[in-house]
This record gives sequence, structure tokens and C-alpha cells, in this order.
Amino acid sequence: MQEKEVIISLKNVSKVFQGKKTIDNVSFDILKGETFVIMGCSGSGKSTLLRLMTGILRPDEGSIFIKGKDISKISHDELDEVRKTFGMCFQYSALLDSLTVEENVALPLKEHTKLADEIIRIIIKMKLSLVGLRGYENYYPSQISGGMRKRVGLARAIALDPDIVFYDEPTSGLDPVVGGVTDKLIKDLSQKLIITSVVVTHDMQSVFNIADKIIMVHKGEIVEFGTPEQIKNSSNPYIKQFINGSPVGPIDFFKEDIAIEEALGL
Amino acid sequence: MIVKLGKTILDLIKNIKEVFILFLNILYWIFFGPFKGKFIQLTSVFNQMIFVGIRSILIVFFVSMFTGIVLAMQSAYQLQKMGAVLYVATLVAVSLCRELGPVLTALVVAGRSGSAIAAELGTMKVSEQIEALETMAINPVRFLAAPRFLALFFMLPCLTILGNISGIFGGFLVGTGSLNINPDLYMQTTFKYLALKDIYTGLIKSFIFGMIIALIGCYEGLNTKGGSEGVGKATTRSVVISFVLIILADCIVTTIFYFSKL
Repeated sequence: MQEKEVIISLKNVSKVFQGKKTIDNVSFDILKGETFVIMGCSGSGKSTLLRLMTGILRPDEGSIFIKGKDISKISHDELDEVRKTFGMCFQYSALLDSLTVEENVALPLKEHTKLADEIIRIIIKMKLSLVGLRGYENYYPSQISGGMRKRVGLARAIALDPDIVFYDEPTSGLDPVVGGVTDKLIKDLSQKLIITSVVVTHDMQSVFNIADKIIMVHKGEIVEFGTPEQIKNSSNPYIKQFINGSPVGPIDFFKEDIAIEEALGL
Repeated sequence: MIVKLGKTILDLIKNIKEVFILFLNILYWIFFGPFKGKFIQLTSVFNQMIFVGIRSILIVFFVSMFTGIVLAMQSAYQLQKMGAVLYVATLVAVSLCRELGPVLTALVVAGRSGSAIAAELGTMKVSEQIEALETMAINPVRFLAAPRFLALFFMLPCLTILGNISGIFGGFLVGTGSLNINPDLYMQTTFKYLALKDIYTGLIKSFIFGMIIALIGCYEGLNTKGGSEGVGKATTRSVVISFVLIILADCIVTTIFYFSKL
């Protein structure tokens, strides 16, 4: 373990929304090439963690290091340089409606590289065949299914050959087969291209399929940390309740005060 | 109540500040972005120009022409009493070019294109598309707001010229058709009293109105919160605020022109 370098590191990160601590003093390290899963209920703060790591939100306290750079303190231009080295796969794909599949995947390439159009077209073909969507270049996002849109989003995320890919609920809303295909895709990408994957999900089957390491977040705090084996055999009551999907336990659903930003997905 | 009033005023100041920052941001990307190798996409500007400009031609034409017709008839009603029906031509031309052309065109475009900009950007915001652009290190102001700003800035004066011409045409129809003014005489009277400054003061206004529509549409769109209801609110607000600001700006600019004898 020691020989692998740390690529993302959170140190004592806190984030306050409307006087309520959504993230409370969270620290963890993510190693290069591993698939790191953040799981938790809706409103637990896992999506906020993702937004902090992608620099959309800035922490109120603590530091977030990506490849050694503290993205909570650097300027906007420097943050953009860091952003070019990672891809983000959104829960609802977040493709630009006004552009075709091809143009969507081409967007980061056209914006950040000086490649000729023919080369960009070849790269797009490669990325689209990687996610099994060759032949859909000229469709608009509204003309393809939700699962396809998600995979186009993944193709866009890996267009610039990033070192890190963030996934926000990659399997939610997909049928089990496509979900399984997506899991395999994430695994393949991280193993073949040595991409570090950070996955936010509450799909337990997917978690055990892909994870190298898991943290469980509840009310902005980490309640458990470990490998899939350790999590499976954990005696932590939070984990037990989460895995079994039981309504009774320490995670009190009915008293949960869900942050409005979280509920609206902002 | 005082607390509420204070909060409203503070919100207003905050909004004005943010719109101003957006304005500076857009100017930065237009003038300084190219030096950093970050260009505004020309295809995007042209697409927006087609949307806000070319697609508005028909509605601007009809609104201005009917206004010209109404203006001619209303002024003929009064001028007939003084036996000065011929001056309908002058009155229509000057009031259209100086005032009604720019304002009416701006209101039409604010209702049509400003609202569409707010709705489009608002939908992009609530469906995480803006966030996606940011994580791809693509600045949304450069990518989305600046092309719309440029398109409106250049197309609104063009539409205003079209509006002026169609308004004069409307007046011409009434003048020659119903008031029995000789067509040649009508056009001569029109251009005899229509000075160049009447036209360019109107165009200066329309440049300002174009900026207002683009800024408010983009600001409301990029700051949309709360799903589809939020998009609806942003759209409504963009139209209401643009309308009020267009009239306000018109009042201020006209005052300046009036006292500087332009």
C-alpha cells in the first residue's frame, strides 16, 4: 500500500450550509489507480463531498489536495488547470441539450486542445466505442435513453484521458443489466488506463462490484472506512442497517433533516 | 416591516452588484480573453444572432408597422384641426426614430429573446449543465453569456433600423391612403425634418437596451434555483426586470439628450 502515491487528500474539511454543518471535519486519502466509493443515504453529504473535490464548492475549513495542489486555496485559472486532469460523470449526465452526442464529447477536446478536427473525430469514435455507443454520433441527447445519455456523459468525462474520474450515482436509474455493464466499464477503465475512480453511490451491489476502498458517510461524518470485505463483515450498526436496507437502526430516516441543497441536487 | 424593507433593499443592492460583475466578466472575456488564448466561439455568436435577430424580423416588422399606422391616425386627428395634416409624416418619422422604434423593438426582443435566454440558461443550470461546463474547465460566462451579449448588442440596433423603416412605412400607408397626401410629398416631408441625430440618438439607446436584455437574461438564467418552477420564475423575472430597466434607461438617456440639446 505504501508505495502507491496519494492522488486526492482531504484534511479536516468542513462545509456549512445555512448554519448547518453538511460536512463535519472529514479527512481521507485516495491512492492512485484505486476505485474509491463514498456511500451514504440521501442528504448524508456525499454529493457535497464530490462537489468539494471537483472545486464547485469551496470548503469553509480544511484543505483538499488533488495531485498535491490545495484546490481550496488556488486561483480560478489554476483550478481550471487541475480540472483538465479529471473528468466528472453526472447523475443525470448533464449533456448540453443543444449539441449532438459527437459535439458533446468533442467539447473538452475542442476547448482545451489544438487537435485537428479529423483527429478529434477519431478520438470521439474511440471513446464512444469504449462505452458501446458508436453510431450514435449525430443524435441529440433528447433522442437517446437515459442509460445511453449516462454513457455519453462517461465518454465525455474520459475525452481528455483524465487521471481521475468522479462518478455521481453512476448506476442509479439504470436497469440491472446496464448497471452491471456500467460497473464493468468503471472497473475496466481504472484497471486498463490506471484511472483513479471516485464513486458516489448508494447502490450496494455496485459498491461491492467495483470498490477497492469504501467510506460510509452519515450526517456529514465518516462512520466507517475499509475494504469491501471489511465493510461486509463490519459490526458497525450504521453499515448493517445500510446494507440490509432496514428502516430501524441508528440512521433515523424520519428525523433526518435533509439539507435543501442536497434535496434539490444543488 | 422595516426589517423586510431593509432586506429587500440589501437584496436589490446585491443583485445590482452581481449584474455589474457579470457585465465586467463578459467584457473581460470579449477584450482580454483572446490574449489568454480563450476565444469566444464565433459559430455560437452567429447562431445567437440568427435566433435573436433574423428570427425576430417578422414580429418587429409588424409591431412597428402597426404602431406607425396608429401614430399616423392619432396625430392626423389632432393635426387636422390645425390644417397641418402634411406634418403627420414628420411626426411619425421623428417620434419613431427618436423614441418608439428603439423602445418598442427592445420590448419585443426582451419578451421574445431575453425570456428565451433566461429559460435556456435556467434549464441548463438546474440540470447541472452549467456545473458540467465548470468541471470541464469551460467558463460558462465565456461559453454562454458572452455570445448572447454580443449577438444582442449588434442585432438590436439592426432590428431598430428595420423597426423605424417599417413604422415610417405604416405612416406612409395611412398618409397616402387615407389622408390623401401625395406619396412623393410624404417622403419629402419625412426626410426634410428627420435629422441624422434623430436616428443616431435612437440607435445609441438601442445599443444600451441590447446590453440590458442580454445581461438580465443571462443573470437570471445563470442564477436559477429550484427546478422547473425556478426556471419559470427566472423567465418571468427576466422579462419584468428588462421591461422596467429599458423604460428607466430610456428616461435617463432621453433626459441626457434633452439637456445636451441632442
